[in-house]
Amino acid sequence: MFKTGLKRDANTAVMLHKTGPQVAQELHACIGCNECLHACPAVTASVTIDVLNRETLSGPISAPVAQFARACYQCGACVAPCPVGLHRDAMMMWLKVRLLRSG
Amino acid sequence: MAATDHREPNKGEVGYSWLFFSGGRAWYMRVVVALLIALGGAFYVWYTRHSGDAAPDSLIGLAYAIAGTLFLLLAAILYALRRHARSKRKVGQLNGALNWHIGFGVLGLAFLFMHSFGNFNPRSGTYALYGMIALVVSGAVGRFLDRLLPRLIARQVHKALTAQGDDRIENISEKLQAIVVHNSQNLQGFIPVPGAGPHKASTSLVPASGPVSNDFPFAYKDQPLHTPWDLAYISLEATPQELSREAGQYRFIPDKKSELARPGALMPGAQEHIYELQEVERAMQREQFYRYVIRYWRKFHIALALLTLGLTIWHLIYAAQLLLPTIMH
Repeated sequence: MFKTGLKRDANTAVMLHKTGPQVAQELHACIGCNECLHACPAVTASVTIDVLNRETLSGPISAPVAQFARACYQCGACVAPCPVGLHRDAMMMWLKVRLLRSG
Repeated sequence: MAATDHREPNKGEVGYSWLFFSGGRAWYMRVVVALLIALGGAFYVWYTRHSGDAAPDSLIGLAYAIAGTLFLLLAAILYALRRHARSKRKVGQLNGALNWHIGFGVLGLAFLFMHSFGNFNPRSGTYALYGMIALVVSGAVGRFLDRLLPRLIARQVHKALTAQGDDRIENISEKLQAIVVHNSQNLQGFIPVPGAGPHKASTSLVPASGPVSNDFPFAYKDQPLHTPWDLAYISLEATPQELSREAGQYRFIPDKKSELARPGALMPGAQEHIYELQEVERAMQREQFYRYVIRYWRKFHIALALLTLGLTIWHLIYAAQLLLPTIMH
């Protein structure tokens, strides 16, 4: 790859968010165990994992999912309990960017 | 009209607004907290006007102290227990616990403030109260940051991703790579290198002596190929236009006297891409900073809670030393 002077190692800027294909990969790997939602202090009871997964990547975003995305504050509490090592916070960030771009 | 109605449900929610209201159980909690503070405050006003014993160590003062301490303990313990509970939680239960954590914290501070009855002498109780004020304020600031920073992070991520959701750095790098390849190929055509004939090029690739690997693409049966088929491709000679990979900045604009100054000789836009790349880099650094703020503010709040706990214990020991002899006699 062309070297640009942007060193993407641990000492400087690191890739903190995930790209669309990476988010899609993680969504496909989700087993729907709900552990991330159980550990989330921002979610209200009106959101289910299958609806969240379905609406994260593309398509219309329903009101409960949008409200969850607006309430999520990226604390990362959802990452540790995931039994398959997925990053729900990155998926939520993708959802936030979608909302941001749509508004 | 019918067409509009048909499209609206498919459109879904839009916008990542700064101000939004979440209904549900949080409002009940806020109403309960507001009522309790109003009742406690009303009694405080009535008591200070009609009683001559409005002091922290009076019976009512102690009642306020016990209530305030109880609320702060509930704020600290219930949420911590709920967060670390191994039993199966329901979705949304932790959100309710967080709301009560905030509610109990505000209630505790209000009741302990009333417990002081305006006596802010430089004693242990005053320090404990200051600690609690700092703790509750840090929690309020934390809630504000929790709302502000994710929106700032989303803006930075928006800058770092393409419209299709791909990594923008990769995207720009590929464009830069294409420009560099195009320009360096053009340069090969413009500037003939004296003495850089086919033989020199081939000898620079294949060692003159020693074993030649069969895997080497320019050798056949241990014999180096002296007539490379594509000099522009295999030459390792550095061209003046080629980017210096160690240098901090790149110069894509050639000398005015050069043949490369001819319009269309070099593919333009490299500098713009470099600026764009630097902007993405800055966006990622800002994203990282905002994430650090979210993480470390939480740690700061916990540290402040521990400090306040220490100050409260100090004050309780001090108060017990004053009160216990009185109660015993």
